[in-house]
Order: sequence, then structure tokens, then C-alpha cells
Amino acid sequence: MATFTTHPERSGSLLESHRGSDPRIVFFYFILTGMLLTLTIGLGYQQLSKVGEYNSAERQQNQRRVVVPGPRGNIYDRNNKLLVGNTHRFSVVLHLDELKGEIEKQRRQIRRNFLAASGKEDMPRGSQLEQISRVTLVQSYLDQLNSILRRHEQVDARALRRHFERELLLPYTLLEGLDDNETARLLERLPVNSPLQVYAAPTRWYPYGSAAAHTLGYVRPDEALDAEGFPGADLTTFKMRGTTGRDGLEKWFDSHLQGVAGGRIFRVDPTGYKINPPLDQRAPKRGNPLVTSLDIDLQTAAEESLGDQKGAAVALDVATGEVLVLASKPDYDLNQFSPRATRQIVEQMNEKGAWNNLALNGFYPPGSTFKILTAIAGLRHGVINPDTAIVDCTGTIRRYNRDFVCYNGRTIHGDIHLSHAIAESCDIYFYEAGWRTTPDLMAAEARRFHLDRRQGIELPNELGRMVIPDPEWKEKARNEKWFPGDTANMAIGQGFVLVTPLEMACFTASVARGEVFTQPTLVHDPNRPRQQTESIGLTPTQRAALIQGMEDCTITGTAGILTSVPGLRIPGVRIAGKTGTAQIPGNKNAAWFICFAPVEKPEIAIAVMIEGEVAGEEFGGGRHSAPVAQAILKRYFEKKNNTPKSLMPAVGPR
Amino acid sequence: MSSKRFDPSRPFLTLGVVTILWLLIPIAVKGFTRATFFELTAPLTVAASYARDLQEYWALRMHSNSDLIAAGRDLARLNASYELAVQQNSTLHAEIGRLEDLLGLPSFAEYRYEHARVVRRELSGWWQRLVIRKGRNYGLTAGAPVIFTGGVVGRVTEVHATTAVVELLSSPELRLVGVVEGDSRPISFQGGINPTFGPPVALVEFVPLDVIANRNLTKRLVTSGLGVFPPGLTLGVITRLELGADALFQSGEVRLDERLSSLTEVTVLVPLHGD
Repeated sequence: MATFTTHPERSGSLLESHRGSDPRIVFFYFILTGMLLTLTIGLGYQQLSKVGEYNSAERQQNQRRVVVPGPRGNIYDRNNKLLVGNTHRFSVVLHLDELKGEIEKQRRQIRRNFLAASGKEDMPRGSQLEQISRVTLVQSYLDQLNSILRRHEQVDARALRRHFERELLLPYTLLEGLDDNETARLLERLPVNSPLQVYAAPTRWYPYGSAAAHTLGYVRPDEALDAEGFPGADLTTFKMRGTTGRDGLEKWFDSHLQGVAGGRIFRVDPTGYKINPPLDQRAPKRGNPLVTSLDIDLQTAAEESLGDQKGAAVALDVATGEVLVLASKPDYDLNQFSPRATRQIVEQMNEKGAWNNLALNGFYPPGSTFKILTAIAGLRHGVINPDTAIVDCTGTIRRYNRDFVCYNGRTIHGDIHLSHAIAESCDIYFYEAGWRTTPDLMAAEARRFHLDRRQGIELPNELGRMVIPDPEWKEKARNEKWFPGDTANMAIGQGFVLVTPLEMACFTASVARGEVFTQPTLVHDPNRPRQQTESIGLTPTQRAALIQGMEDCTITGTAGILTSVPGLRIPGVRIAGKTGTAQIPGNKNAAWFICFAPVEKPEIAIAVMIEGEVAGEEFGGGRHSAPVAQAILKRYFEKKNNTPKSLMPAVGPR
Repeated sequence: MSSKRFDPSRPFLTLGVVTILWLLIPIAVKGFTRATFFELTAPLTVAASYARDLQEYWALRMHSNSDLIAAGRDLARLNASYELAVQQNSTLHAEIGRLEDLLGLPSFAEYRYEHARVVRRELSGWWQRLVIRKGRNYGLTAGAPVIFTGGVVGRVTEVHATTAVVELLSSPELRLVGVVEGDSRPISFQGGINPTFGPPVALVEFVPLDVIANRNLTKRLVTSGLGVFPPGLTLGVITRLELGADALFQSGEVRLDERLSSLTEVTVLVPLHGD
């Protein structure tokens, strides 16, 4: 048994005890307590107060978010035919984040090769060695594809470096735009677990090609993808490229059509390579569909009829203002913008001036179609009367010391009444009506029909360059005095008056309804109520005379071609129309035709404008523009009478 | 005495040494070892399959004369119908040959047919493959398509001296391109995770949105002819489709032929012109 010897000065206990106190040690007690307190408070502060901050920093350092765009919504015509949908574009991507080990192995191999070949002297720096090994490895994967597809593609080293530095967690696209055959070969021959994978990216698809190109618009790839509602906004985020509407309905309704982005949150290692499986994920959702008021059958009928001519055609539903046709030529194939237009395509479009939507932003003098407005102004202010011939047309009229010519004087019109003057488009009658009405009242009437402002259709970039002149405008804009000749010009839609085809279509629909304004819209609503605005302000007799003149125009007048040519006739349908031919700069004509039908209960109103490019050719609204309107009307009434003849089969979303 | 005592740490030490050696020896040596092992065991596998064939032969010998007469009658009918089909095929081949000569086209024949007996099946959650009794000795090549009367069996993945390994259609390691019968758009087909005794299934991706299929309205999936397989061979029937995560395509499930797990004879299509 062990025994302890007791020191005479010690207590005999194993624990040493101190009796009494040393005042010097108390001082150290205080210091020690103070230090412990400081540590405890510091620890508490760091662990309790700043825990959120540290958690957040740790999260930001270790987690990455990958955001994937949702497909855009489809666009349909009023009969639910697909106008714009989504399709796929196959590509091969390489998941760089799975290559960490291989890159390291490659780096070691290259280093060994350098050492063997030239020693340490020419050895590249670490970053250079890393880049060389990345390019070599990615090229070896690309060579696998080259071998399967019999191609000779090379890695873009600069793009690869950028991808490694900025978008490591996103797959790197090696080849894109693969056809079905190439896709099939790759699917069968690439190993299932390879970092090389076939990927299908969404892209816009336009089944009707160039139809309604300016109205539908196009999209462009966009980096600014909105991942609203997806957690982890504070994390380092890698966004796959989405698309944004850049023109037409695609732009105007961009937020409506835009899909809801999805994505994944990954944990990553210190070098940025991901650690599976994802911590959180959300599937992307398709955007909302848009049902437009367009009728693709009428639209294609109008565009086929316009052919290669430069011009525009607009058709409206008279009751609701819904746009059935909004065609502009020259146009472009929207599929050429998917996924992006090449420089060659852009140059071609610039050359033929295909960017401009003439229906919306083509500003032309309306020519004789404006005589309808002149007639309404004269009738409302009592200066002309349907039953009274205000002038004797002998081909010319002398006023204000000069001769004014009737440019539509195929025959001498003689004592001419309103209806006949409209049907025959007698300039002299309307010169006289204009002088009697005065330019101020004609301009006021045009403003009453909203011809001096944008129509407010749901399309971007509607310009406000329309002109409804009056003496005050001329003084201000040109610093010149107003002459009687200006009034005569204005009365027949020449001179300074500038309007768009869309404005003239709205004007025609308003006249058909007996009101002063039609709000055009491109959104279809089957329950949309009939529009109701201020009355046109004509007595029934005056209105009847006006409409009679317009109907006679399509039977015996300047648009008589519509009934005299058997192929153009639409049996059982009475059409009220008015032609116009205006001179425009460049020794060209703008050929107009406006109309609505049926006369007894108007349903559809149309305005067509075509630029006459051929110098010296007799270019007129009756001969050139009326057949385009007739093509639209013919298709409209064929469909109405249940004789469907769709130009393309109904296409479902792909 | 103490020097002969069993040291409990010795097995672990041995295991550690072997593991380190295995890690250190070059890949070529490992590959050679694996291949050698396969070749060494192959005769045993083949012998076992011959033994099974013998068993079946003697089992058949035990049948009564009446059974054999009935079977012989059925076989005669079957032979007659096949005889007719063979004659029709010969006529068609001759016609194809004549047209090829006339139009100066290359030969239509792309494959040589090699019938092979199945000697082993490895059907588990990890492997879905067959070992067949023909290999390099019959000119088989890796990647060659393998078929049977019900359609596609799979693809040759390894070729040995007298045997070859066929990755089955139900294996997740096998991916093919198919089309819905009557359509031409490619669909990615891949074997699913199949339990040992369950009915074999596979998965499809990149199915166009307008293809509709469910348990009541199945769609037959056939080879596209775009890859290594000739067109029109049955892969299975699509029984379920759902909208994919990208909302561009559908993905779904394919029911495979249940005979895949009990095949005894398959045909390898050996490409005539290589690839």
C-alpha cells in the first residue's frame, strides 16, 4: 500500500491550499476576469448577434444558383390558330463542372510533357498551364463529336476561358443548331454518363413565316433574366440566356408572354465545382398565351395579294375595332430571327426597307379617300347639299386667278351631285366644297375623327408624324401664308395632309358605324362590346347620299373593277368604297382604297395603300389597291358563309 | 509458441497491401487481368450452356410419341408459312438487286445476320445484359445491334474470343433514338431502373407535345433508322407521358417486351461496311 510522507510545512492533503491572501494576486484576478469577460462577450456577440451574417456569408460562399428561363407563351389568331410558338434547337453541351479531375490529370500530363521536352525553363505559368489543359481537354471532347458528325470544329479558347471564369456551373455549348439526324447519332453514340450531353434549347417558331411579321414582332436573346420568387437572390447566380420581345406584339406584351424562370441551387466546393444533388430546384413555367384579333386567313390573303409591292393593308371589325389584318410589305421571315438574325439578313432587310411597318408608320397623303371627310365637313356645316349641284365640272375651274384641273376627268362631270362626285371622284366638286367649308373647319373635322394623332394600338413605336394642316399650322411649320390652292389640295387629300393606313382604316370603320372614332385593338375578346363614340352628325338623308356615293364607286365609279371583272365580284355583298391616288415625292404615286361591307350592316372596314414604284405607269387606287381589299373581303365572306379554305392547316403548339 | 500465434491485424494488413498494389499497378495491367479473367471463365459459361442444351434435349426425349407427333404437325405448319415468307423475301431481294443494278445504287444490304445462343443472363438493378455464345470467332463487333422476333434486344458492348456481352434494352446504360410509329421526329430512348423480377421498362425524352399516349392509348415506339439500328424495329410501347421540365417536350415511360428476360436465341446484325 502506498504511503505518503507528510512535509512538515504542508497540510498532508494532495490538494495544496493557501492560507491568507496575497494582495498582488488579487490584481491578476481582476485582469483575468476582465479578459474572460471580454472573451465571453465577444463570443456571445459573434455567436448570437452576428450568426445571421455569418450564415449568409457561408451560404454565399458555398452555394450557387443557376436560373433557367421559362418558355414564352404562345400567340394565337382569333380562331386559335398558332401564330407564334416555341420549338427546340438541339445543341451539344459540355458540363465543365464535372471535369475537375480530368483537367487536373491533363494539367499534370502537359507539365510532364513540357519537362520532358524542354525542361523547366520554358514551363508556362500556372494559369497558362491551366488554360492549356482546359482547351486540350475540351478539344478532345469536341473531337469525339467531330468523329461522330464528321466535322472539323475547333474550340474557341477565349470563349472557353470566359465561360470558366464567369459561368462555370452553366453547360458550355460546343455545337448548336443540330439537325434531327445529327441529334440521333449523338444520342446513340455518346455514353449515357458522359459530361457531353444533347440539350434542347427553346426558340421561337413562326409557322406562317413572314405573315404579319411587323405585327407579331421578334425576340432577341437576353441575359437579364428575371427569377422573381425563386429563392437565393443573394447568391452568386448563373443565368441561362432568355429572350425579350424586341418588336411588335412580342415587345408590347413581353411581360405577359414571358415565362416564369426556374432553376437550381447547388453547393459548390472551394474551386467552384458543384456538389450534387441540388439543394433546391424549381421547374420553369411557360408564359401566358395571347389571343390576338388577327385572322391569319385574311392576313395571308392580303399579303399574297400585295405580293412584292410596297404597301400596307389594314382590316378592322367595324363593331369592336378589333384588327383583323395588319399587313405591311416588304416584310421578312420571322424564323430568320430565331435564335438571332445574321448580319446578312439584317443587310438584306435594310436594303429593301423591310423594317418599317407601313400600316402603322407609313405616312402618305390620302388622296381622294380624304374626299369622304371633306364631304362630311361640308354637309355638317351646311355648305353642300346632297340634292344640289354646287359646281359645273368642265374639266377645269377658274378660281383665284388660276385654273384648277379635275384630275379624274375621264369624262366631263357637268352639274354633279354629291353621290356622283364621290363615285366619280370629281376633284372640281371637292375643290368647291373645300373652299366653301374653309380649311379650318376641314381640319377640325379631321381632328374630330382623330386623324391628327396616334391611334393607340398595342404596338410599340407608333409614330406621331401625321399632319392635318390648317393656316396656323402652315404659318408655324413652314412660315408661309395659306393659299386657296392649299385648301383645294387639302380637300382632295393632297398637299400637306399625311395619314397612315391604320388611321384611314379606323376612319372608314367610324364612317361605317356613323361615329367619329374607332379604337383599334389587337387583342381578341369574344365578348367585346360594340364601340360607341360621338355620332358623325349627319342627317339620315346626308348619310344615305354619302354611302350611296361610296357604293356607286364600287359599281360604276373609280372602283368599278370590283363588280365589272367577274373574277373580282363577290356575289350578294354590297361594298361601299372610295379610291384615291396621291402624288408622293420621287415621282411616285400612293394608290389608296378604303371600303366597308356589307353596306346594309357593316362588319368589316378596310384601308389599302400601295406605293407605285414604276415611273410613268398609270398607278391608281381602283386598279391596284381595290383588288387587295377585294381579296380580303372575298376570304372574309367565304369564311362567314362556312366555306373554309384555310391556306395552312391549323397548327398545334410544337 | 508466441511466434505462431494468429495475429488478428494481419488480414487487414494484407488487404491494405493488395489495395495499394491494385491502385498502383497500371490500368493496362488491370484491363488485361479483367479480360483474362473473362476469357478464362468463358469456357465454363459456354460449357454450362451446352449442358443446359443437353438437359433440354433429354427432357424433350421424355415426351410421348403423341406429343411429338402433335408438335411435329404444328412445326410443319409453321415451316410452311416460313417457307412462303422466305420465297417472298427471295423475290423481293432479287427485285431490289435488279433495281440497284438498274439505277446504279450501292447495295441495300447493310448487315450480316449472326444467330447466337444466350449463355448467361445478368438481370439486376445494376446490370441488364446477356452473354451470347459467339464472339470474335464469328466476326461480331462492338456496337452491333441485336434483335429478336419481338424487336430490339440491345447492343453488343464487349466482344471476346468466343462470347460477347449484349447490353439489354432495359439497361440504363443504353440509349437509342426511336420514333413513334408513323412519325419521323426523333425521341431519346433509355433503359430504366429495372428490378430483377419486375416487368422491364424504359424512359423516353424529347417526345413532341402533340404525341398523346397513356395506358389506354399506347403508342408503339420503333427504331428511327438514324442511328446504328435499321428503321422500324420495335422498342416498346409508350404507356405514360408527362410534360417535361422545360415545357418543350414530354417525357415518359415505355413498356418493354417481357420476353427480354427469358431469351434463349438472338440475332446480331453485323455491319457489312463497318462505320
